[in-house]
Amino acid sequence: MSEPLLKVSNLKTYFISKYRTVKAVDGVDFEVQKGKVLGIVGESGSGKSMTSLSIMGLIPPPYGKIVEGEIRFEGVDLSKLSEKKMNDVRGNRISMIFQEPMSALNPVLKIGEQIDEVLIRHKRLSKSEARRKSIQLLQSVGFPRAEQIVNEYPHQLSGGMRQRAMIAMAMACEPSILIADEPTTALDVTIQAQVLDLMRDLKEHTGTAIVLITHDLGVVADMADDMIVMYGGQVVESGTADDIFNTPLHPYTNALMESIPVIDEERERLTAIPGTVPSAANFPQGCRFAERCAIAQASCHEKMPELRELQPGHLVRCDLA
Amino acid sequence: MAAYIIRRLLGMIPTLFVITVIVFLLMHAMPGNAFEALVFNPKIKNAAEVYKRLVAENGLNQSLPVQYIHWINNLIHGNLGISSSLNMPVSEAIGTYLPNTLILAITAEIIILVISLPIGLYQANKVNGKLDVSTSFVAIFLYSIPGFVFALVLIFLFSFLEKWLPSSGTVTPGIATSGSLGDRLTHLILPALSLALPSMAYYTRLTRSNTLSVIVADFVRTARAKGLRRPRVMFRHVLRNAIIPIVTQFGFDIGGLFGGAVLIEQIFTWPGMGELSFNATINRDYPLILGTTLLFAVMVLIGNLIADILLAISDPRVRYD
Repeated sequence: MSEPLLKVSNLKTYFISKYRTVKAVDGVDFEVQKGKVLGIVGESGSGKSMTSLSIMGLIPPPYGKIVEGEIRFEGVDLSKLSEKKMNDVRGNRISMIFQEPMSALNPVLKIGEQIDEVLIRHKRLSKSEARRKSIQLLQSVGFPRAEQIVNEYPHQLSGGMRQRAMIAMAMACEPSILIADEPTTALDVTIQAQVLDLMRDLKEHTGTAIVLITHDLGVVADMADDMIVMYGGQVVESGTADDIFNTPLHPYTNALMESIPVIDEERERLTAIPGTVPSAANFPQGCRFAERCAIAQASCHEKMPELRELQPGHLVRCDLA
Repeated sequence: MAAYIIRRLLGMIPTLFVITVIVFLLMHAMPGNAFEALVFNPKIKNAAEVYKRLVAENGLNQSLPVQYIHWINNLIHGNLGISSSLNMPVSEAIGTYLPNTLILAITAEIIILVISLPIGLYQANKVNGKLDVSTSFVAIFLYSIPGFVFALVLIFLFSFLEKWLPSSGTVTPGIATSGSLGDRLTHLILPALSLALPSMAYYTRLTRSNTLSVIVADFVRTARAKGLRRPRVMFRHVLRNAIIPIVTQFGFDIGGLFGGAVLIEQIFTWPGMGELSFNATINRDYPLILGTTLLFAVMVLIGNLIADILLAISDPRVRYD
């Protein structure tokens, strides 16, 4: 395999206050390959959003901190970069789109202004050049009347249009990586499919790699080349999407697959995973999934399992797998 | 927008009508009238007759409704009546005194905005830092003290202990530079500062809290994810949103500042609307009381209208039609 575009090793992002330490991301490793889609799957609170914000250097201050690990991108460790240097990477080499496009867009600035400023900042375009490019970008994400949209405010657009505008903004500088944090969660199902199609098209045209964060396994199955499954701030399974969907090894991944409805199968009830994700301020000593795991044994509660490579490229953090 | 403003201006008429009726009744509820003191003046021989004549001339012997209708009728024809204490038309008196109050109020507003906004913005950026805590303490301290106390303290410090600034009037009479810009400015400093200090504290707090609530918004995270530099994020994305409630409050306060000036103008013998209306009340100068009150009421209503217009200008989501 060629050199990965982005290599995250042993990333630990903690929120440290006087009273407690919240281990939001606790030793995460993964790689993003050039032009490929990496899906990061997990429940709320599993640390997937914090992982992506760590890459962007946008961990909310003052308590959040990357305490250990490396984020290697184009030969440099992003976690060690100065704010000034990081600003040249953000929105330019790596960009990000968010879950809720309404609140992620500035309500008092026109769509055009919000796209222009990325181009002016990173590409040093003049105002009129930036505007011309913004209109092109909006056309490329499927706005038929882009000349008018640039002069409209976010509240004048529908949810799907707003997310398209966000994507246009994120793709403005043709980044090598686009991090999409639950990009379709806030959208109607039909719009979801359109937005995913759009992301796939853009990836094919520009060669931008995508880190797709979602709790929706259907989206991952549809889009991802590789995937990691996160639980309690750790990676519990990683591999190619095909491998994981065909032979899920971790009991948590298995349980997630069980909880998806399958249309041609008649089932009375969907299987739900009992319990909730343990609090990141107070993780158990052993396997973090043990308490909810159907096959857990006494030893699971005592010793934290290591991530093992069971098949080539397919890793799992479970001693029983 | 124009139609909206016209509708709002017309809507003021009923409000003003009610206000003038109330003021009219309260004014007549005060004991005595403008001429009663003459009766007790031993220098006037036929005092009782003179009094009777003056009362009749000024229509004070008629019933209250008749007097009110008479006043309204004159008002519609653009006549505010004759001030009995100043012996000049009320409109002329207001025309002489109003500019002084406008100068005082506008200077105070400028001081408030120029000082409060940067301090509030700074505090929000260094929230809970040493300077934030200490300036917040000072702001709350200043906010708890009424303006007239500042007036006395400032006079004591800068006019009495140190003879730096004059404590009364708008110009220094009888010197060569009397009425020059410099002379006027030195007279303006203390009253404007007394008027501004409590509001300054309030606007500092308002700026700080608004900025803090905007700084955590999703779109600010987006702005940072675009790689924008900190000043641009702060001014274009944070301040642009945080300023919306501030300009609205500013409009509301325009009317209040005129009211607040009454006491300050008394202390500094500043020949403005405050002094005019105070003396009108002391002298039972009915036409002048009604004229000045009407002006104060119009100022408050126009201030509210300005607040709404400023809101629509600063927030594209707000539209009137």
